[in-house]
Amino acid sequence: MTPQPQSAPAQTSEMLPGFDHAAFDSNAVFRALLDAMSRPGRIYDLPVSVSAPDGLNKAATATLLAMADMDTTIWLSPSCATKAAGNHLKFHCGCPISTDVKQADFAIARISDDLSFVTDLAVGNAEYPDQSATLILMVDEISDRPSMTLKGPGIKDTHSLSIKGLPASFHAWRAENHHLFPCGVDVIFASETQIAALSRTTRIEVN
Amino acid sequence: MEQTVKNPADGAPDYNFAYLDEQTKRMIRRALLKAVAIPGYQVPFAGREMPMPYGWGTGGVQVTAAVIGPNDTLKVIDQGADDTTNAVSIRQFFAKTAQVATTEKTAEASIIQTRHRIPEKELREDQVLVYQVPIPEPLRFLEPRETETRKMHALEEYGLMHVKLYEDISRHGHIATTYAYPVMVDDRYVMDPSPTPKFDNPKMNNMAALQLFGAGREKRIYALPPYTKVKSLDFEDHPFEVQTWEDECGMCGARDSYLDEVILDDQGNRMFVCSDTDYCAERQEAGHRGPQHHDQPLGTADRGKAAE
Repeated sequence: MTPQPQSAPAQTSEMLPGFDHAAFDSNAVFRALLDAMSRPGRIYDLPVSVSAPDGLNKAATATLLAMADMDTTIWLSPSCATKAAGNHLKFHCGCPISTDVKQADFAIARISDDLSFVTDLAVGNAEYPDQSATLILMVDEISDRPSMTLKGPGIKDTHSLSIKGLPASFHAWRAENHHLFPCGVDVIFASETQIAALSRTTRIEVN
Repeated sequence: MEQTVKNPADGAPDYNFAYLDEQTKRMIRRALLKAVAIPGYQVPFAGREMPMPYGWGTGGVQVTAAVIGPNDTLKVIDQGADDTTNAVSIRQFFAKTAQVATTEKTAEASIIQTRHRIPEKELREDQVLVYQVPIPEPLRFLEPRETETRKMHALEEYGLMHVKLYEDISRHGHIATTYAYPVMVDDRYVMDPSPTPKFDNPKMNNMAALQLFGAGREKRIYALPPYTKVKSLDFEDHPFEVQTWEDECGMCGARDSYLDEVILDDQGNRMFVCSDTDYCAERQEAGHRGPQHHDQPLGTADRGKAAE
């Protein structure tokens, strides 16, 4: 009944459900993402409850259910690339999953992963800066403690943002990424229940 | 053939929520996320045929369809008015296909789709303004080739636009562009604000609401995140200026709003009236009166004939 991936046959009984209501839930998740991307650093609660397969958390799963389909290539970091996660995304989103990070429209990783892959993400080109990847980083905790001070479009004065366990190498990459504007990678932080985003325009001061 | 007349309130159960299928909405939503991440850059999208002709706001309708949820309240304006054909038909379209609440009051709307005006009332952070755009490329009338305009944006090569504004000055003594007046977004992209009067340009700067632009025929989406710097192009010795009127609104007496001129007869009588109908109605409810309001005694205004 369902398209079964050749390499990893999934039992339908093992499959977790996707959105309860495809139109309303994907709209609600998208609106949270749109708000988050247009107001970088502001924290939004995940507006729906979803089941997350082993390897992904709830907010990252909801983001992919809302945004990914056959037109978007997904790259999962080694710690996220479980059989359950692959089957879940293939079944509910029908999206191609690549092991080549350069191909990714959405790249998903944990904050504890080796993040050296980020420099390989597509940044678009000067004529088509939209042909860039979006990094979805699964984190344990997002808060508005002032470890980072954000400025730029979408931010009235400043926004404060704190991501637990964000390594210094991330900030070095982000600073480079910001200088590439209008090219660059946009970042979505996804905890179990909340999301926040960094647009490529956002200037970050690490406190 | 069986004839069924559906009440708009019954919705259109044969269509997906908000008319577009989910895959189309996802494609538009991905373009919107890129658009807010690159303010002023025109993101190509796979625009669909809509059940209305190009020029009737198919781009704005597709953006609204991708953004609108069941809890939204929609307001649609055409040149500031809620009661013109285009505005009424789009409002009914979403009342039918998404069963959302609609309003004519700016303050009550969560999404405002607009053709060529920005409401006079200051917009809030929890509101989204969706513009219908005919020609999204500000350089198009200067350079018809898309391959070239794309390079010009990539290289930030906007000299041609300044030459065009300069030619205005040399020919007319001032910048004669009055609508679709080009703006610079966040010091990077020159953007067409859609054919809004230049009167509205200053409202775009640092607006609290999110602004989304959809061009259906040209298949482009672009955006201004809230609190983004939007500067109208000008010269040091010819600074940007908005239109001003010597008259006030004939109905509500407003002197701070954009006024439409209405020709009343063939004797040269005319009146000016707010283009933003909700703004004007709200002021009239609050007791403000202009010289041609029907409450006013005849002959009190200098153009008393117009009060009839």
